[in-house]
Amino acid sequence: MSEPGPPLEQLTRRLAETPTPFLAEPRFGSQGGQVHVDALVADLLRLHGLTVEPAALSVFGGGKAASERNPRMLAQVLCWLLADPALLGRYRAEALLDLLDGQARALAAHAAARSFVEDGERREELVRLSLRAAGLRPAGESAAVAEDRWLSVSTAERVRIAAASRAAEERARQIREALARKAAEESADKWGRE
Amino acid sequence: MNGLDAEPDDAERYPGLDEPGRLLLEWMREHPHAPIFRNRSGHRLQAVDLLALKDFEAEVRAATVDPRGEPMPAWLADFLTQAMTRVPHYRGYGSLPRRLADLPTTARADLARDIARFVPDDVDAGRLINFRTTGTTGEPLLVASHPQVAGRYLSFHRRALRRFGIELRSGAGEVGVVLLGWQRQCFTYTSLSPQQGGAGLAKINLHPDDWRDPADRAAYLDALAPEVLSGDPLSFAALLELDFAHRPRALMNTSMALLPGLRVRLEQRFGCPVVDIHSMNEAGPISFFDPALDAHVLLQHRMVVEIVDHEGLPVPDGERGEITLTGGFNFCLPLVRYRTGDFAALERRGGEWVLTGFEGRAPVRFRTLAGQWINNIDVTHALKPFALAQYALRQHADASFSFTGTGLPPGDRPAVLAALQALLGPGAPIAADWPERGEGKLVQYRSELPGAMG
Repeated sequence: MSEPGPPLEQLTRRLAETPTPFLAEPRFGSQGGQVHVDALVADLLRLHGLTVEPAALSVFGGGKAASERNPRMLAQVLCWLLADPALLGRYRAEALLDLLDGQARALAAHAAARSFVEDGERREELVRLSLRAAGLRPAGESAAVAEDRWLSVSTAERVRIAAASRAAEERARQIREALARKAAEESADKWGRE
Repeated sequence: MNGLDAEPDDAERYPGLDEPGRLLLEWMREHPHAPIFRNRSGHRLQAVDLLALKDFEAEVRAATVDPRGEPMPAWLADFLTQAMTRVPHYRGYGSLPRRLADLPTTARADLARDIARFVPDDVDAGRLINFRTTGTTGEPLLVASHPQVAGRYLSFHRRALRRFGIELRSGAGEVGVVLLGWQRQCFTYTSLSPQQGGAGLAKINLHPDDWRDPADRAAYLDALAPEVLSGDPLSFAALLELDFAHRPRALMNTSMALLPGLRVRLEQRFGCPVVDIHSMNEAGPISFFDPALDAHVLLQHRMVVEIVDHEGLPVPDGERGEITLTGGFNFCLPLVRYRTGDFAALERRGGEWVLTGFEGRAPVRFRTLAGQWINNIDVTHALKPFALAQYALRQHADASFSFTGTGLPPGDRPAVLAALQALLGPGAPIAADWPERGEGKLVQYRSELPGAMG
């Protein structure tokens, strides 16, 4: 059973006002941008009064920009959100790390990290997800209403993702077929061949 | 419209074909000295494509080429935003960064894994064509393209030719270009260039197996009298052995490195400019060699060129690294930080942005007899004076060398070996092989010694 947390609007507003440095480029080992996400996560844990083995933070410092840039930026956004004074001390370390890594990764696979700052529906989804990870619900909502709203935003998102994946697969199939046609192969009029 | 797998007809291959065009096609194909044409192909350019190509030609003609991506020019921000919205692979990158260098690099292997993920959502799959390429890595790749993209090549070829004082002037009833191959198996066909007033285009294979009589090769070239001959070092080396009178207005080398010695021989024989264009299927014509600047002049105005280190980080202007491209004119395959596998430095020379010290593929170091490491560029320099069509140098695990040099007259061979020995150490063991003909792209430099990749 969830417990009442801060009002939804307080947290969605906080997201909408995410300071620019939290949207800057993440660093990967010795490469990439300015944000040392592992240090950011360590600071967040400290604010929450939590300690973890340094090895647990290594996942936020390395990896490849090609696959990790977007999830890492979403982790940065989450670090800002979860530093809201009303949330401090409400999480277990494992729940916080799972939110910042696994759940952020799942969300970032389908949407740009920035959209969780700029888009109203996505802000609500991220706030509700974050509250649930602490066993909280928005202030003023009954447990049933909070569950309903969560199902509504997360289902809408799942439906969108499923539709987009189906469309993407169909599109990729069409392209592969189009390129494999005899006509595609034999037409290539250029004045020079590489 | 035919079914999906059906053979296209002439109406699809040559939209808007008129009677003079049909006659020219027939004449090129059925000429008594014509080769055995193995295939059929066409420009597929529709009226709407030709209008767009006219605008594109004007844009390329007037453009100033500035390959810098920082500070991010407006066109680049727009290009990246579009790519990160409409292209499945780039969508995963998230949102537009402040600097291009904050985005990951991509490479040929990424395209080869699934080219469909690089084609924008709004490209009409029905009009896709492909360019098939093996490169020197042997990793096959099917590049997504479009008839209009193939047509855009000509604007860049014209831009390069203009630098040598050549304005194309062939038109209806004439042959604009003959593309020369020298391969056992070669895609050969005849077509027309509506962008060049309907001038003819023939792609032929100089290999004797493709001709009823090998003597027909010279007679056919004289009959077609093309304004431009386009080819690669292997087909040009074969061309030099044919006795024909026609003098094209220009030669264009569009595949594989053209060594200076062969360029000089071609210039002497044909008395025309030999334009060496650095081009790849993934990005089209990128630059051309200007002997006056001793550098490759960049050709594309909507393309950022970065030179990056091993990690994909940009190096300062003037430093060597891997040529990495963003942008380009193939709207079916937008490139974002595409690592080409070719190496050079980027700098300004004579008021223009150029690539200096251009070398295909990654640098390889060779260990001399005295135990010093030398760069493959030193080998390139040492072999510059010789009219080799192609060559390859390999250092084996026991530090001995094998050298393959193609198309060089026997009398010149000792001098090549002497130049190599001067570089690698007097008495360095070099096993040399001198085939008259090459068989395709070669991996130019290889070494089995540890530490050879720098």
